[in-house]
Amino acid sequence: MNHAVTAPPAADPRDAELKELQDSARQVLVAQGLAAEEGKTWPLVLELGWLLVSVPEELGGLGQGLAGACAFHAELGRGLCAAPYAAAMLAVDAVCQGKLADQQGWVERITAQEYVAAPLAPSALRLVRGRLSGTVTAVPSADLASHVLISTADAERVALVSLRQKGVELIARSTWDGTRRLFDLRLSEVELDESLLLAGGSAAQALTRRLSTLRDLALAADSVGGAEALLDLTVEYLKTRKQFGRPLAGFQALKHRCADLKALTAGAQALLADTLARIGGGIDDAEAEALARTAKHLACSVYARTAEESLQLHGGIGMTAEHACHLFLKRALLNEHLGRGNRDAVAIADRFLTGI
Amino acid sequence: MNNSDDPEGLRAQVRAWLEQNVPRDWRAALTGTGQEAFVRAQREWFGRMVEAGYATPHWPAGWPGGGRSLAEQKVIYEEIARADAPRLILFFVALYHSACTLMEWGTPEQKQQHLPGILKGQIWCQGFSEPNAGSDLASVRTRAELRGDRYIINGQKTWSTLAQYADRCLLLVRSGKSEPPQAGLTYLLLDMKTKGVSVRPIAQITGDDEFSEIFFDDVEVPVTDRVGEEGQGWAVAQSTLSSERGLTLVELTQRMRYSLPRIATVMRERGVLDDAALRRDLGGLIARVDASCALADRYLLKRISGEEVVGDASLVKLNYARTLREFTLLGMRIGGLESQYREDFCRGGSQETGNWPVDFMNSYNWSIAGGSDEIQRNIVAERMLGMPREPKGWQWPGDRA
Repeated sequence: MNHAVTAPPAADPRDAELKELQDSARQVLVAQGLAAEEGKTWPLVLELGWLLVSVPEELGGLGQGLAGACAFHAELGRGLCAAPYAAAMLAVDAVCQGKLADQQGWVERITAQEYVAAPLAPSALRLVRGRLSGTVTAVPSADLASHVLISTADAERVALVSLRQKGVELIARSTWDGTRRLFDLRLSEVELDESLLLAGGSAAQALTRRLSTLRDLALAADSVGGAEALLDLTVEYLKTRKQFGRPLAGFQALKHRCADLKALTAGAQALLADTLARIGGGIDDAEAEALARTAKHLACSVYARTAEESLQLHGGIGMTAEHACHLFLKRALLNEHLGRGNRDAVAIADRFLTGI
Repeated sequence: MNNSDDPEGLRAQVRAWLEQNVPRDWRAALTGTGQEAFVRAQREWFGRMVEAGYATPHWPAGWPGGGRSLAEQKVIYEEIARADAPRLILFFVALYHSACTLMEWGTPEQKQQHLPGILKGQIWCQGFSEPNAGSDLASVRTRAELRGDRYIINGQKTWSTLAQYADRCLLLVRSGKSEPPQAGLTYLLLDMKTKGVSVRPIAQITGDDEFSEIFFDDVEVPVTDRVGEEGQGWAVAQSTLSSERGLTLVELTQRMRYSLPRIATVMRERGVLDDAALRRDLGGLIARVDASCALADRYLLKRISGEEVVGDASLVKLNYARTLREFTLLGMRIGGLESQYREDFCRGGSQETGNWPVDFMNSYNWSIAGGSDEIQRNIVAERMLGMPREPKGWQWPGDRA
């Protein structure tokens, strides 16, 4: 029997616009090739206005919100993009949320020409008598940035800090993931410039929580995009490679593993979409943070599993540097440890057990 | 009251009704009791649900409770899960498989003959699977031979859920030799009281017997009880099998989410609430459960907007089946040695009752029945990922002679 199906809700013109933006981003990134150099992709990100996607319209952005941001994170994940897009987007969001004197000017600068970085892991910064000390961990491409977005460890201050001043030391950390360049920043008694303060007190607490939510969503979307692209690549490889007189894709043992990966990636994709819809529908910040954390945990574990399986399914070629398999694998492994790291599963359970 | 354009208004209505009507302590009442008590409780609950119109939201307008949009049906199932109401297991085949098949293929006389009976509580079972036709349904061998105005049926069906209580059976039989094998199948409606029909319940690994074998010994079925034309059985059976897609898994994934506190209960009982390793496992499980819910939910949204593609339903089922297995395994692991001592189990209590070994054993229902995980993987690999089909006509080397 045909179910009495309701007419689909009237399509939001914004959804169609986002779909178009996402398609064009994919085309641009495909043309650049997988894991294209940062020197090529970062100028494109700026030139094409990709950092404006979730900036509110009144600040000159596209107003596509979190779903817009995540659509781009997923595309950059698909393409193993080296540009420090996730970090830059966090800084752009903080500037949009914060209370800088020349907010409009800042938004224009940092979405079109200047890179303001942000860490992809929590930092351990103390503010003592107006001076910041401690380490900011996992800042992508910090050597290209003019400033870094920081939250103090007690989340009482969120601010931009100029990287070109005394007391700031950049330490390049060579990661196994070759598609991103991470730095630690060591700050020693760096004066907090009051004119670059974005939020203090409870506003800073809220903004810190928001940024951690956005960071988890960015990592989740990057992971979903990466897992989907890698599965496509793996299936294509199995269709091409012949052994025992037939394509490997014809062996049920391998087909079933691919189907399982498809089911896992579909689950991660659905959870991310569901999370974005819930957050977009308006829920409190603590709930949003928890949902983002769950989506991030699931997406990263699915990405890592997909990458682990894909390398095996590629056989020997997967172990070579020339093939992209290892790039996905290493990006997936790093993603798992970014954000709040591998304590996510315990934190999800802690929250659940406290709530019942 | 039907055709409401306001699913949220409907939600409040259903919620209020369930609060008043779900039998109090039904789980306790159905734990450790025999199947007869279960059947009585099912009949009672079915009566209430039909009266309220919540048993038949998927029936067309004009039927009691019918004419609900898919979005409204989803709301009803979400609320049923939320209220932890009993599932209408005994009537599932009648309400979905039989009704949907009859609505699509039945003659006006057949609809008139059977649909009102279903609303009155007639129990139906499915006679599709056979000892040698499980996942490979096209291999059905039960014979139907046309003699005058009757078919004479001989053969055997198996895995028929609660067939020992059924009044009628949806029967898929082979009426002719043909290539491909699908073309020789015919679909009949069988009165289970017909001479020559015998039912034997199958003892399951849980100690329950929810499934039966059905044997046919020169059973006569009037031609007027055929659905569709002779040889059209495969197409009719596809309608039967697709009647439940989507809604059941929305309901079951939601039930799974609402059952998560049972894991917390067993952790508390065992004094391991602070075990970090168990918390890690639980956190991982919660994420998987949330993903299964989101996937089932978005699958139904895709159906509503007409964007469903082949294989989507398989992804939902694969996720659910795997997550359910992990859920019940975790419950059993936390339960420790205590979980290995036999305890009474709850009938009709869905998949996560807190009797972990029984829940674990029952979780195989979802990875085997309704198209096994292996069949779902073939569908995903071949139809979504475009990987080659399995070669046909394979033989043991020794069989060639």
